[in-house]
Amino acid sequence: MTRTDVLNLTIREAAAQIERSALSPVELTDAMLQRIARVDKTLNAYITVCGEQAREVALAAEKMIRAGYHLGPLHGIPIAIKDNIYTRGVRTTAGSKILGDFVPQEDATVTARLKRAGAVIIGKTNLHEFAWGGTTDNPHYGTCRNPWNPERFPAGSSGGSGAAVAARTCLGALGTDTGGSIRLPSSVNGIVGIRPTIGRVSNHNVVPLAWTMDTVSPMARTVEDCVLMFEIIAGHDPLDDHSAQAPVPDYRGELGRGLRGLRIGLIRDYSLSHVQRAVGDTIRAALTTLESLGVEIEEIAMPSIQGNISAQLTIESCEPSTYHQEWLRTRPADYGEDVRTLLELGEMYLATHYLQAQRYRSVLRKEFVEGFKRVDVFVTPTLPFTATPCGATKVMIENNREEDMLSAIMQFTGVPSLAGLPALSVPVGFDADGLPVGMQVIGRAFDEATLFRLGHAYQQATDWHTRAPSL
Amino acid sequence: MSPHEPVTPESIDRLCTLADLPVPAERRKGLALMLAGLVAAANELSRKMADARYRTVVPILRFPER
Repeated sequence: MTRTDVLNLTIREAAAQIERSALSPVELTDAMLQRIARVDKTLNAYITVCGEQAREVALAAEKMIRAGYHLGPLHGIPIAIKDNIYTRGVRTTAGSKILGDFVPQEDATVTARLKRAGAVIIGKTNLHEFAWGGTTDNPHYGTCRNPWNPERFPAGSSGGSGAAVAARTCLGALGTDTGGSIRLPSSVNGIVGIRPTIGRVSNHNVVPLAWTMDTVSPMARTVEDCVLMFEIIAGHDPLDDHSAQAPVPDYRGELGRGLRGLRIGLIRDYSLSHVQRAVGDTIRAALTTLESLGVEIEEIAMPSIQGNISAQLTIESCEPSTYHQEWLRTRPADYGEDVRTLLELGEMYLATHYLQAQRYRSVLRKEFVEGFKRVDVFVTPTLPFTATPCGATKVMIENNREEDMLSAIMQFTGVPSLAGLPALSVPVGFDADGLPVGMQVIGRAFDEATLFRLGHAYQQATDWHTRAPSL
Repeated sequence: MSPHEPVTPESIDRLCTLADLPVPAERRKGLALMLAGLVAAANELSRKMADARYRTVVPILRFPER
């Protein structure tokens, strides 16, 4: 097997080869580390590369497997972890100067579960400072770049995880998603990312952004690989007060069920409105493919959907500013300019603004509950535009009108975040400049299985996910 | 702060005093420009949520709901 073949393996493919000793975890880890050495000077996807530690773990995995002990599909698989998720003994900066020297004494629950499953933690990925922003233009650890075009942004805040997976420097990664921070980079880097139902995956020992919206979850090149990681990290955690007791289904068992009879909802005057033409055309083509697989599509009105961006900005302003209150007074100069500004602004909302935004969430959630009586999932683009140039603070979506990046980037991903619903981003094509387009699929609370089933069926019928950036 | 008045650097000064947040004078103009837009949108949402049809709606502050 050539080096290129190894780099292009999915988790499922690599796991199958490792299990039958056709591929060594050490060989796989070394290939990833060499790939990081070659491309990450350009991409800046990693804040810390755990080279020596990763090799030791890979060697131990190899010995275990040779001795007849195979821990499952993540055994010996190189995985990257966003740098706001605790890793015992490995610096966890949250992309900040403030936590620049923080070395946790404990793992996050998600890290511990991946390690128990035999995963090889290959490094900690770059992010927007404290996950508060959507560009991964990090003033402390450098601007992260998009593997499909390094002049373009990888989105964020989990931009390092998105770029690392797309660039074949790891087989999967963990990200965090508050208002879209897994789905946005998954979309613009041409990979798959799932935001889980709040409570499905533990947030224990993850640096918070907004407590009532934060989630942790996988990013990978295929839906099936996301499932392999999700199965390991999902489930109740007594260390997290927000963790749900809901049983975790057999996601892999559900994947092959097909889509016949599945009902997709498009939200009237929203799902396909105010998007770049290439994005709209690509999503419509994806819907046509899904219809050929047996889904039915229905348009549904959701009158409360307008107002979602203000609600999200209000909550995502007030909650981080509460967490950062002390540092903002004692170390204001240690924040990057954009995050410092957002944290200062978050102190200037009224309590009534915050509570009205939380009441809005109840209304929005109720409309989704009603909508789910008629359809199984809702579809939107993940973003209304493709990757913008690095450093851009404005974006043009239609009519040659410039819009503020922060509001524009939340147009579609904020809605499931507010409603507490799971949402999957799956790659569905490219624009004329060769930049990926992602489709967001929103599901019922705790019904990630249907999202995985739809995304997997789509990937079985298309080949977008097999294309690689030419780095 | 009235929704009909623009947010000014002086408004920022007053809010910072209330929040016990020291913000250097040179930052206040930029913050005022941004806050004007954010507060206008938040006030619009508040007016919507004050409508009688939403009178019984309570905030979600915890997921999963109990």
